Order: sequence, then structure tokens, then C-alpha cells
Amino acid sequence: MTSKIINMAEKLKDSEDRYLESVFQAEPIADDGFSGQVVARIRRRLWLRRLALPAAMLLGGAIAVKPASQLLSAVAKLLTATPAEVLESSVDRLPQLQGVSISGSVVQFVVFGALLLAAAVIGSRMLSD
Amino acid sequence: MLAREDHYLVARAVSSQDTAAFGELIRRHQSQVRNFLRKLTGGSLDEADDLAQECFLHAWNKLHSYTGRGSFIGWLLKVAYTTFLQSKRKSKRYAEVLDEVGRVADLQSTGYTPDSNEVSDLDKLMAVLTQDERAVMIMSYACGLSHREISEATGQPVGTIKSIIYRSKEKIRTSFDIKDHQHG
Repeated sequence: MTSKIINMAEKLKDSEDRYLESVFQAEPIADDGFSGQVVARIRRRLWLRRLALPAAMLLGGAIAVKPASQLLSAVAKLLTATPAEVLESSVDRLPQLQGVSISGSVVQFVVFGALLLAAAVIGSRMLSD
Repeated sequence: MLAREDHYLVARAVSSQDTAAFGELIRRHQSQVRNFLRKLTGGSLDEADDLAQECFLHAWNKLHSYTGRGSFIGWLLKVAYTTFLQSKRKSKRYAEVLDEVGRVADLQSTGYTPDSNEVSDLDKLMAVLTQDERAVMIMSYACGLSHREISEATGQPVGTIKSIIYRSKEKIRTSFDIKDHQHG
């Protein structure tokens, strides 16, 4: 059945079509390492892309470590200084704060975590873009 | 059967970033893509092969957008044609090719018939066609794509493809005084 359809289609082709086919016809091109070259280029790109995130994080971390530590210590000083003077006076207005004590190391940990989270979110968005 | 294997390889390449599966797809279709681009670039082998490499890199990046509705080679030729058009906009080489084609057309109109070694039959035919007509004719007569596949590859309706082919044949017929019985 299929061959009949093909024969029918062939018959419908006129001599002009056959002439054009013969002019446009081209010998198949041997691969000769072409596909290997393309695949190697793709693998190189994938490898670079995978390397880009850790490399950027390392570089960013190295650049940011000093100012970040200065910022953290400044914020920690500010936060550890604040509760004694401010929190006690505002307990009347914010009863939820009663009994809450904030130590310097916990504050540092929370601030650092928040910064890290923000950096990760921003970084992942930039990479996906 | 071949189409089913293509779909399977595409699925593997997309789902697990399998470059070996994509390599197999390249091996299957590189000949048609390279021939298509060689004809579009006027026979420049190096330029066509560079474009073919770019085409397959684009195809890898956009592979997830292949829905499997049409044939894979049709989709690939669409990527190849887009790559060609993009490079043409950037490249000055295209202007040179156009000049060459224009010179061939001028020689035709002045009655000069160069040696068959100088200009091939295909070059002569291509000289009278516009860029879109060339692409459609190559897809149809060199790559053997159906009208539907060409329509998907070029993003134009099937009716438009049919009229482009009709118009191109008409141009070739009038330019070269081709009669049906001469080539029967």
C-alpha cells in the first residue's frame, strides 16, 4: 500500500521536478569528526557553566570577606547594645519581648544567615537569567 | 522508525543533558544540514561548516523547545536557516556572495555562457531566486522535505510555500527557457 502511494507521488512529479532534483542533488557528506567537534564544544561549554558558579562564589567570597566581617561586627555591636537600653523600655508596648534575651553570637549567626540567604537567592536568579 | 529513534534521542539529550545522544543526532543529520548550508552560502565549504557547528550549538541550547510535532530534520533546518540569517546580518561576506551572484546573473542576461566548470547549474538557478525562494527550493529539492515540513521550518503557511515553489519554478523556466520535454 505504502509503495503504491510512493509510486503515485512519483508519477505526479513532472520532468521539471526530476530535473530540479537532479540539479539540487548533493552527495552525502561524511562525518569525518564533525559531530565529535560539536560534542566537544558542547561539553566544554557545559563544563565552563558548571565551573562558573563555584568560581564566582569563591571570588565573591574572597572579595567580600573583609567588608562583610566589618559589617557583621558593626551590626552585632549595634544589636547587642540596643536590647539593654531599648527592649526593657518597650516591654510595656511589646509584651512578646518579655523574657527574650538576645546574645551577641546568636545575632551574628542570624544576620550572617540572612545575608547568605539573600546572596544565594540573588545569585540563583542572576544565573537563571 | 528513524523519526521515533530521533524522538528517543532528543528525550534522552533533554532529560539528562546526554551529549552522547545529541552526538548521535548530529551524526544522523549533519550531512543534510551541511549540504543545506553549503547551498545557501553559495558553496563556501568553510563558512557552511562553521555555520553548521553554530547551528548544532543553537539546537543543543533550544532542544527543549522541540515538541516532537514535526520531523526533527525539519526543526533542525529551521535552526540552520535562522543561524544563516543571523550570520548574514553580521557578515560582510554575504555582500560579497551577493555580488558574485549578481555578476553571474549579469553574465546570463548578456548572453555569455561560462564554462560548466566556472559556474554550476545550481549556481545559475540560485542566481535568479531570492533568498527565501532559495531556502524553500533547497529544502524541497535537495533535502526532500514535504510542503508541511518546509512550512514548519520557515514558519510560513503551506499555501505560501506552494506558491513560493511555483513562483521559483516559473522564474527558472523563464530565465533558462526550460521546457518540460528537454529534461524528461
